[in-house]
Amino acid sequence: MQLSLREDYLEAIQHFSEKNAHPPRYEELAAALGKPEPMVRSDMEDLVSSGDVFLLPGEMISLTAQGQQTGVSVMKKHETLQCFLSEILGMDSSSASDEACTLEHTISDETIDRLGRLIVKQEEERRGGRGRHRWPDSLPRCRAGEADCHYPSISDCFEGENVIIHYIQGKACAKRLLDLGMVPGEKATIKRKLSNGALVVQVKGCDVALSPEIASAIGVERSL
Amino acid sequence: MKIALLGNPGAGKSLIFNQLTGLGIELNRYPGSSVCLECGNVCYKKEKIEIIDLPGIYSLDGSSEEEILVRKFLEQGGADIIVAVLDATKLERNLYLLTQVTEFAPKIIVVVNKIDEAEHQGLVIDIDQISSSLGAPVVLTAASEGRDIDRILPLALGSARPAILQVPYDHHIEAAIKSLEKTLGTPRYKGLLALQGIGEDQVLLESAGAIAHEIELRHRMSVRQIIATNRHNLARKVAASTVRHSDRKKTYDLDRLLTRVFPGVPILIAILFLLLLSVFVTGSWMEEIIVESFTSSVITPFTALALPPLWDRIGFSMLIALQAGFGIAFPFIFTFYLGLSLLEDTGYMTRAAFLADRAMHRLGLHGEAIIPMVIGFGCTVPAVMSLRILKTRREQTIAAFLISMVPCSARTVVIAGIVAAFVGILWAFSIYLIIFVLIIFTAVILSRITPGEQFGMIVEMSALRRPQARQVLAKSWLRIKEFLFIAMPLLIVTSIGLGLLQYYRLTDAFQQMVSPITITLLGLPEYASTALLFGIFRKELAFETLAVLAGTADLGSVMTSAQLYSFAIVSVLFIPCTSTIAVLYRQLGARITALISLYTVFLGLLIGVVINILMK
Repeated sequence: MQLSLREDYLEAIQHFSEKNAHPPRYEELAAALGKPEPMVRSDMEDLVSSGDVFLLPGEMISLTAQGQQTGVSVMKKHETLQCFLSEILGMDSSSASDEACTLEHTISDETIDRLGRLIVKQEEERRGGRGRHRWPDSLPRCRAGEADCHYPSISDCFEGENVIIHYIQGKACAKRLLDLGMVPGEKATIKRKLSNGALVVQVKGCDVALSPEIASAIGVERSL
Repeated sequence: MKIALLGNPGAGKSLIFNQLTGLGIELNRYPGSSVCLECGNVCYKKEKIEIIDLPGIYSLDGSSEEEILVRKFLEQGGADIIVAVLDATKLERNLYLLTQVTEFAPKIIVVVNKIDEAEHQGLVIDIDQISSSLGAPVVLTAASEGRDIDRILPLALGSARPAILQVPYDHHIEAAIKSLEKTLGTPRYKGLLALQGIGEDQVLLESAGAIAHEIELRHRMSVRQIIATNRHNLARKVAASTVRHSDRKKTYDLDRLLTRVFPGVPILIAILFLLLLSVFVTGSWMEEIIVESFTSSVITPFTALALPPLWDRIGFSMLIALQAGFGIAFPFIFTFYLGLSLLEDTGYMTRAAFLADRAMHRLGLHGEAIIPMVIGFGCTVPAVMSLRILKTRREQTIAAFLISMVPCSARTVVIAGIVAAFVGILWAFSIYLIIFVLIIFTAVILSRITPGEQFGMIVEMSALRRPQARQVLAKSWLRIKEFLFIAMPLLIVTSIGLGLLQYYRLTDAFQQMVSPITITLLGLPEYASTALLFGIFRKELAFETLAVLAGTADLGSVMTSAQLYSFAIVSVLFIPCTSTIAVLYRQLGARITALISLYTVFLGLLIGVVINILMK
């Protein structure tokens, strides 16, 4: 089955399920897409075998987790594109929807992300200039996702330990640390630790002395 | 033709500059010490070449004064040729700065210095490889031995060219640079700075800020972090292809002793104590010899001339000033500078900062603050200027108060000349003790009431090395030269002025005005107030004036021990000298300067009164 066709089906099923309290039956799906019912039936067989949908009793078509993921993503792309085309580019809404139907299959996640943020920003600006960009006060604590938040800080490590630097919190001290080579992914060795938590860290062959409060802003991963 | 030296702190720039120009120039090893540009001229093949020593920096997109200065210098094309000095033992980290310098596309040559130390550590640097990956001419040097320094100028003048080294940034950053270039015509280096929020063009900053925000959301990492990582990666690649490690000779690591609490802290205390003690002892001893020989060979013959009274007064004041100047400058300040330069050149000061971090925290400061404090024992003026290394205004304010109280060489002269000489050396040390207690007391109070936040210490430890006598001497000489050429005339003029004031009996009016304070509260002779007043010009003037006014250098014969002790402690604490006030005003503004002056006057008088009551 064609990629765009599969995505259209999944999107339509998702859309229908969200709008009505139940998943669509064959005839309902066929009506929504404006296609003959036998064609929909045969296509559904393909989708069942590819693991995107499964049949519920009463001939209702439900999405699997995989199918739902694709469905939701395509639906979101459609909405974003339609919004962009009609509200920002000023196209009329029905042709925007048609256009979005074609574009949604080829557009990348990144472009959609950026378009989405552009729309939000324009919206905010229209509402009263709140959308002005401000520099973030602190760096995100984690590099990739919430699950990463459990790294120890370098001040929790012991003398002689080798670590890999994971993140640096705070903006003021971060710059100098970055310049001294303490970038995420860099290896470091703790050469000395005093009882108050002051450290001498060796990074890139240079020894750097750190105050305890600076050290506690550096998240690391222990390595061997 | 202008050539500028650029590099990390401690890469040996200043030493190379020194050897190229033949001018004595300071070689400071603690981070960020000289923000003023040092310039020197040299003649090469009948052409005058100006050489500029830029301050040592770690990066071009930081916000410290030095970094901003060098960035502006490069942006404005301040030099025709850049000589980038890299430390061979820390090549990778030093290349990081070079990756930024090449973005400004200056004509450049690269000097890989400290090749002797690298060899010692078993590092071999492939000069052809590094030269081809940088796309710039490279020369290997060992400045401490003077090896191949003479090759720098011919290479710079003959074959300097823009390097080809270019950082491959993350594709989002590259796209951003291109977009800024297309929409606003921003050059690459400016675009990179703007993405990090640096620059003055508001339109550029706005659009760069919006793009940077996008990138930060996607990467979950700040743009600065991404850019720094990309640069470090390139530096690592270049370093990996050019540095070969042979077997490293195992040497004993002195840091095993120096950076531990034990025996590190006792060593630190011992070193500082020894420094002060040797200044004290050598200073007093040398002073005695100088003063005595000066008296017998110059002053006695002069008084024997029996000139008319006015001329006798002027000549005598001048000679006294000369005598005091040489009696102080050489014995005390020079000894101190010698010791300080020695400590700095070994690289010990950064260890001291690390160890002192904890104690300094209690005072509302952090480890790096020990550097201005120790410099303060020599002279308060450079100590106040070095306050720049402290990052927040809160720390600068607290440290400024404390530095103004630290007994500088001139105050050591007062203590040594008055208390150690006439009362006893242990009493002299008790004055130090009282001052230290007061400093700690002041710091504890200030750390509670000073607004602002604390910024921690990030200090690169300089490598330990054997200091070289010539460098230490040259550095101390430079520091003392300043005293001799700037302070000496001032000393002579004020001394003559004082002589004249006394000759026309103008000081008497002042003395009578404040005599209730001097005599009743402090229990001092009336003329002591004039001495204290003149102490504001330069601290040691308090001592000399006292001698002049008392009419004898043998102060023990005209004042009691209690009076001498009390006078010494009041004049030591009492208001910073005029040069300190001037430099405080420049660094911290009128309000803090006024507060410091008032506080020290109050403290000096208070302690004087307390001692007067106790000693009665």
